[in-house]
Amino acid sequence: MAEIILSQDALASNNRAASHNRQLFEQYGVLVINVMSSPGAGKTTLLEKTIEALGDRYRIGVIQGDLATQIDADRVRARGASAAQINTHGVCHLEAAMVNKVLPQLDLEALDLLFIENVGNLVCPSGYDLGEHHRITVLSVPEGNDKILKYPVMYLRTELVLLNKIDVLPYFDFDVEQAIEDLRTINPKSRLIPLSVKEETNLDEWYQWIDEVYARWPKAVG
Amino acid sequence: MSHEVALMGDMLNIVAEDMQKHGLSKVEKLKLRVGTLSHSVPDALEMAFEIHKAMKAPILTEDSALEIEVEEARAQCVICGHEYVPDHRVALCPNCGVPGGKLIAGDAIRIVSYEGV
Ligand SMILES: Nc1nc2c(ncn2[C@@H]2O[C@H](COP(=O)(O)OP(=O)(O)OP(=O)(O)O)[C@@H](O)[C@H]2O)c(=O)[nH]1
Ligand SMILES: [Mg+2]
Repeated sequence: MAEIILSQDALASNNRAASHNRQLFEQYGVLVINVMSSPGAGKTTLLEKTIEALGDRYRIGVIQGDLATQIDADRVRARGASAAQINTHGVCHLEAAMVNKVLPQLDLEALDLLFIENVGNLVCPSGYDLGEHHRITVLSVPEGNDKILKYPVMYLRTELVLLNKIDVLPYFDFDVEQAIEDLRTINPKSRLIPLSVKEETNLDEWYQWIDEVYARWPKAVG
Repeated sequence: MSHEVALMGDMLNIVAEDMQKHGLSKVEKLKLRVGTLSHSVPDALEMAFEIHKAMKAPILTEDSALEIEVEEARAQCVICGHEYVPDHRVALCPNCGVPGGKLIAGDAIRIVSYEGV
């Protein structure tokens, strides 16, 4: 039997679904941020605080990716955001088609900002475009310095790293300067903001980043 | 791991669709090219292929074979133009010593070809 050449990207169908999502987001004027991290880095806590702080400025929605539960969606709903839950039933990342399926649960017209909390995992989510405009990664101090160099594929594709839980820096030998330097050698365009969501340290720098990317976004005008 | 199982399922769907066009029904050999800086590793993809066989994927048989060609990552420095094989510090150009490198290969997974009956 002859060899049949396909030469196709394995993620071609996901990429198509992602473009479709992106088109919808643009059409409704919703800026979308994909939030990734390893489990427990503080994504949901960050989103809770962000909704509280920016709820007057932006109409915020959240899509929660979770292996099996509703817990995180309930947490952000309690802060006044509209939320949709995706249970991946064991799949370790979100895919564009999963996001598309829950969009009818959100009134896109009534949103300015949409956060997608990906499944906690530093490997799998990085390959899957969801149709987002920005990709950020939350790294937390207890995970250790070496995570950036150990997971270059994740950090190659992230434009902002929020280094969370700096309140516990005294108990860990996490070298913040080294983390910034390591990140620069993988992805010189990305930026690292050290903060503590719990102690509300330096959150303003994160909010400022949101304001900047929102203001820069052509769809936000008019 | 379940990530590679899902990914393999997507790839088998793409192949199945193409096989239909050619009037084929079973894969004899599937060839992939996997970048060293893609989000999957060959071992996990091989295991995923076996799992799909065990789950009786319609286009696979006991004898279907998977061949993976590893594509080494390559980067090129935007400052000095030097091309290199990056280590974990992907952007760090070994020639000028600054992080000016951009990946030019090795970050994707491609279905190269298949043979079928
Ligand atoms: N010390 C400290 N703890 C924090 C901080 N931010 C979050 N936490 C705690 O970290 C734990 C995990 O936080 P979550 O917000 O649930 O983390 P997550 O990333 O959403 O977790 P998954 O969705 O399960 O992956 C909780 O107990 C939080 O209270 C922080 O700045 N400092
Ligand atoms: Mg969470």
